[in-house]
Amino acid sequence: MKKTRFDRGNLKYYALSVLSVSLLLLAWFVYSSSANAILSTPMEVIERFAGVIRSPIAGTSLAGHIWASLKRVLTGFIVASAIGIVLGICFGWFETFRDIVWPIFSIIRPIPPIAWIPLVILWAGIGETAKIIIVFIACVMPVVLNTFAGIESADPLLLDAGKVLGANSRQMLLSVALPDSIPTIIAGMKNALSTGWMAVVGAEMVVAREGVGFLIISGMDNLDISLVLVSIVIIACISACLTFILNRMEGVLCPWLKLENK
Amino acid sequence: MPEDKVIVNNLTKKFGDLLVLDDVSFTIGKGEFVCLVGPTGCGKTTFLNLLVKLIEPTAGEILIDGEPADPKRHSLSFVFQEPSAFPWLTVEDNIKFNLRIKKFPKNVIEERTEQMLKLVGLTQQRKLYPHQLSVSAEQRIVIARSFAMFPDLLLMDEPYGQMDIKLRYYLEDEVLRIWRETGSTVIFITHNIEEAVYLSQRCLVMSSKPTTVKTIRTIDLPYPRNVADPAFISIRQEITDMIKWW
Repeated sequence: MKKTRFDRGNLKYYALSVLSVSLLLLAWFVYSSSANAILSTPMEVIERFAGVIRSPIAGTSLAGHIWASLKRVLTGFIVASAIGIVLGICFGWFETFRDIVWPIFSIIRPIPPIAWIPLVILWAGIGETAKIIIVFIACVMPVVLNTFAGIESADPLLLDAGKVLGANSRQMLLSVALPDSIPTIIAGMKNALSTGWMAVVGAEMVVAREGVGFLIISGMDNLDISLVLVSIVIIACISACLTFILNRMEGVLCPWLKLENK
Repeated sequence: MPEDKVIVNNLTKKFGDLLVLDDVSFTIGKGEFVCLVGPTGCGKTTFLNLLVKLIEPTAGEILIDGEPADPKRHSLSFVFQEPSAFPWLTVEDNIKFNLRIKKFPKNVIEERTEQMLKLVGLTQQRKLYPHQLSVSAEQRIVIARSFAMFPDLLLMDEPYGQMDIKLRYYLEDEVLRIWRETGSTVIFITHNIEEAVYLSQRCLVMSSKPTTVKTIRTIDLPYPRNVADPAFISIRQEITDMIKWW
């Protein structure tokens, strides 16, 4: 069986990971301790973190800010995944649909999600819907593209096997092409989740009264660098947790891949 | 002589100007085991792909039970050169795949799956995924899957091409055992003449491109065959001489 570099129990990998993060923290400490540095030290960030936990910011606790962002990301992500997978399947399986809709999709695709913020605010106001739409736009692209790629590159040998065994077009899609694409689709969803986080922070920095992006902008307005850094660390931690959950989900949905890589 | 299962009439296939199959005609009886041998690149795989409608012929027709061949209407199976087990399905779900596609009753699906698992010796591995098994075991899953619906016609395209001699001998005996038990009609492509003589009741010897059927050699040796038997060696030599290009 094939072994990956990131196998569980790979002591060398974990040791080197701890070493590289420790070096980053050390570099941060050394730089931030110098006289002219415009950066809080790790200790100041930890103290600020404790302060944020004790006293709410703009009337909302830290957990409330995190939950506000998480809710927006998860709602946008789930809707984008559902629509993106269906759209990707249509692109990959139905040639006429692809020929008609792909040109429009190709024009919209390269536009950065945050470029839509002004338009979305005009259309949907400054409430929750606008932020969820921005997250949706950010998440839907990677899901569509990966689903499309997965369906389009389904193993021709397996497709031939399905065809010869007498599967009709619907069975070919649902029983052969789609299961074969699941790993690619999940890779797209992982990508979507990180772009969703980028987008929500962007949207919250423009217009919000709560959320992690709001914390960053609040820190910037008050020259509270420690708060900015606390928010950045929180974003990194939540993204890591979500990626971990998705990796676990991949193991449950694609047990054959887990076994393949063991 | 058994009734005709497959009738191939004047089958011709061109890819652009390249004539691959030229006016091929023959019949295969019900429950017969036929091997196709010929020089490498003579168009044997093209011929099988035509039979199962993966590609369309330029001219001619293929009839199964008197009707034009159609995987949706006829019960066909194909074992490709490379193992084609579905990686996301366990051994037993792979075997059940076409039985489910063809909407067999549940009790038949269970019964056939048990029978096939036993025949290919994978009962203990039924819950494993193909990647957890060796390449030869994966090919056995495909063979079990193909035989599970007792196909009208089973086509095998050099299924043991990648295996070592010992395993080949084992799998050749296995395929003969399953063939006898299921009564399926089998067309087996190979470039290994010994394998063809060991397995088949009739051997279709193909010419180089454009492919035609050079001759049909009936092999009436009793099963199980002995590769060291002088009659066996003589037939093998005869067929070898027919496809010799050197």
